[in-house]
Amino acid sequence: MKNVLIIGSGISGLACAVKCAGLGLYATLISPVSSERSQSVMAAGGINAVTEECEEGDSVSCHIEDTLRGGARIGGKNAVTGLCEHAGDIIRYLEGIGTVFSVDSNGRPMIRAFGGQSFKRTHYCGSSTGKQIVSALIMEARRYEADGLIERKLRLDFHSALIKDWECFGALLYDEKKRLLVPFYADALVMATGGQNALFGKTTGTCLCDGYAAGKLFMQGADLKNLEFIQFHPTTLETAQKKMLISEAVRGEGGRLFYEDGGKRIYFMEDKYGPKGNLQTRDLVSREINNIGRDVYLDISFLDKKQIDVKLPEVRDLCRKYGGIDISQTPIPVAPAVHFFMGGIAVHLNHETNIKDLYAVGECASMYHGANRLGGNSLLAAIYSGWVAADDIFGRTENKTHPDFDRAIRNEEDKLTGLMSSKSSFSVIHIRDMLSDTMRKDMNMIRTESTLKEGIDDVDYLLSVAGQIWYDSSESTYTNYSLTGLLTLARAALTSALSRTESRGAHFRNDHPDMDDDYAFSTLISYDDGAYNTCLDKERVYEN
Amino acid sequence: MKIRILRQTEPDGDAYWESFDYDGTREISVAALLDHLNYNDDIINDDGVKTTRIGWDRSCMQGMCGACAMVINEVPSLACDTFLNKLKGNTLTIRPLRKFPVIHDLIVDRSVIQENLKSTDVYIGEYNPKENEDHRHQYEVAKCLKCGLCMEVCPNYRGGESFYGAMFANDCYLVYARNRKKSADMKSTYADHFGRTCSKSLSCMDVCPMNIPMIASMAKLNR
Repeated sequence: MKNVLIIGSGISGLACAVKCAGLGLYATLISPVSSERSQSVMAAGGINAVTEECEEGDSVSCHIEDTLRGGARIGGKNAVTGLCEHAGDIIRYLEGIGTVFSVDSNGRPMIRAFGGQSFKRTHYCGSSTGKQIVSALIMEARRYEADGLIERKLRLDFHSALIKDWECFGALLYDEKKRLLVPFYADALVMATGGQNALFGKTTGTCLCDGYAAGKLFMQGADLKNLEFIQFHPTTLETAQKKMLISEAVRGEGGRLFYEDGGKRIYFMEDKYGPKGNLQTRDLVSREINNIGRDVYLDISFLDKKQIDVKLPEVRDLCRKYGGIDISQTPIPVAPAVHFFMGGIAVHLNHETNIKDLYAVGECASMYHGANRLGGNSLLAAIYSGWVAADDIFGRTENKTHPDFDRAIRNEEDKLTGLMSSKSSFSVIHIRDMLSDTMRKDMNMIRTESTLKEGIDDVDYLLSVAGQIWYDSSESTYTNYSLTGLLTLARAALTSALSRTESRGAHFRNDHPDMDDDYAFSTLISYDDGAYNTCLDKERVYEN
Repeated sequence: MKIRILRQTEPDGDAYWESFDYDGTREISVAALLDHLNYNDDIINDDGVKTTRIGWDRSCMQGMCGACAMVINEVPSLACDTFLNKLKGNTLTIRPLRKFPVIHDLIVDRSVIQENLKSTDVYIGEYNPKENEDHRHQYEVAKCLKCGLCMEVCPNYRGGESFYGAMFANDCYLVYARNRKKSADMKSTYADHFGRTCSKSLSCMDVCPMNIPMIASMAKLNR
């Protein structure tokens, strides 16, 4: 029986594990914490699919076209076609395993409008869709745990992949209980580690998704793709502890953006883009809010209070608890903030990287969303990508024997021991804070050549001192050893943004404000002993 | 304001109290306070001595994941949605959940939650709902964070050896309602590991951060 090692237990990791188990593969699901703590539970608004519940005139081809257009034409048509063609199956599957969708009087899942879509096709569970799907998938994983086909292991951190001659044989993990590195050999390794939040400090997501895995694999030879495309969600609420997402579901239910001018409300999105102005794509809405240059509000108070209670209870509670706002009475002050990473580990249509038997799924992989992701497509892609990887692994016949990694593992152990005894004036948290300051300043929504170069200089300096940090034993070992991977990833993201001398989707260059057809391709970046090499994927090697 | 924290370096180590002074805004959550103590500068206790950073679990920081469950002023709570200005007095006391083994400071091992659900086959398997299902209640139940607060506060819950706590009752109800083929089994499992022991203090409902009406799950399964 083939052994599949999956790192990360959010929706994409769970979906992959359950699919593997359903195919008779043995899946080990590794994560530092349980699935309930994953960022997936924060996905609020819904999941896109064209089903029989959808409006007349909608079709799978419309969903494909909306996704490609929303992604500013660099998503792969074949990839997106696969995603959208399977979306209906995914909704039916989620219903079949008992996900508690919001349903109509006939028990059928309800749909709402989301940004950048020609028709309403976002199926939802109140405003806690991710949480409801996680709850259902955890139960499904539990079913296969009982059958012995899934094993879940907690308090283990990813350290590096076990790679030889461009083939992956498993991963080296840090065991928090034993406090040592442990190899885990497998026939395939699937990364499901989420986005790159730590590069920016506090985002709408969890602090546990940091991007280290992408950075480390990049250093080990994996190509990365489209790192310059970072989604700023237009509606977040600033609080003392983080930027909190105000779900697109609010605008889907009719929420209106405005600013005040002389006591008069100016509905700027509707004025500029017509009745559907509030539901333009996220990149566009975020830039418009940024351009307004004054306080912007989101109003849903006109909606019947009962409708708010039924359709947006989590948004209602969040605003009341963290902002002291009763959304049935008062508009919500909103501002754009980092929310999602369209870029990540480059994968082929089967979700395998350029390293054999190394796969990436969910947000850590770059696929489907092009230069800007549509709301409601991330939950869809998380499940679909997990399925695609599982199917591909199942289709391979060999059971692998692994080469001898003992020397390489001892080498990593020695490096870790050296790090743990290191002393300097640079603490890991201090450097992480400086990194997020740099990224927020120089890799913000609006970029120029000079800011990006400043960012690269800053990160190069941080990289030069990262090997001489003061080992902070009151932080986790993972926090300490992950620093160089994070910095390398940040350097790669800045380099990718510098190389794209046009504006497209979520990447806006003030010095190159127009879209340029010569750049209608994904950016690839590879690492070669400290050199960062970018190119455009004109042959569409990865996503076509 | 005095912040007293029950700390423990290692799983087998001795617990000890350490105090900190805080004179900032009270318009913040306990989670933001812990962040402030840890990262505003070097962490200094109220004796003026530099100490180690306080260990605590966190993830979403907005009451959606249950990571930061702890006991705050003797009330089991989530640190991220407990605000200083809602607490009385000038001393804040924080300790780890007592019903779970301590790993480090405020971080505890809650794996017994999943183990008990796994060993009793609490999974839906196939959606095959009972005719009179209560959809609204199922939606609420499926939001359970598995944070452990209901177990911490429960007078009947000891360590999860036979009585598994209110979160278990909720998951049993979800399976009972969503797959009629398993309804009878779930009622029996529920009775064995919850129903026959629960003394109905309902303190679980007072502390549930999702405000899940556990009594509705119990009523349906006790029927």
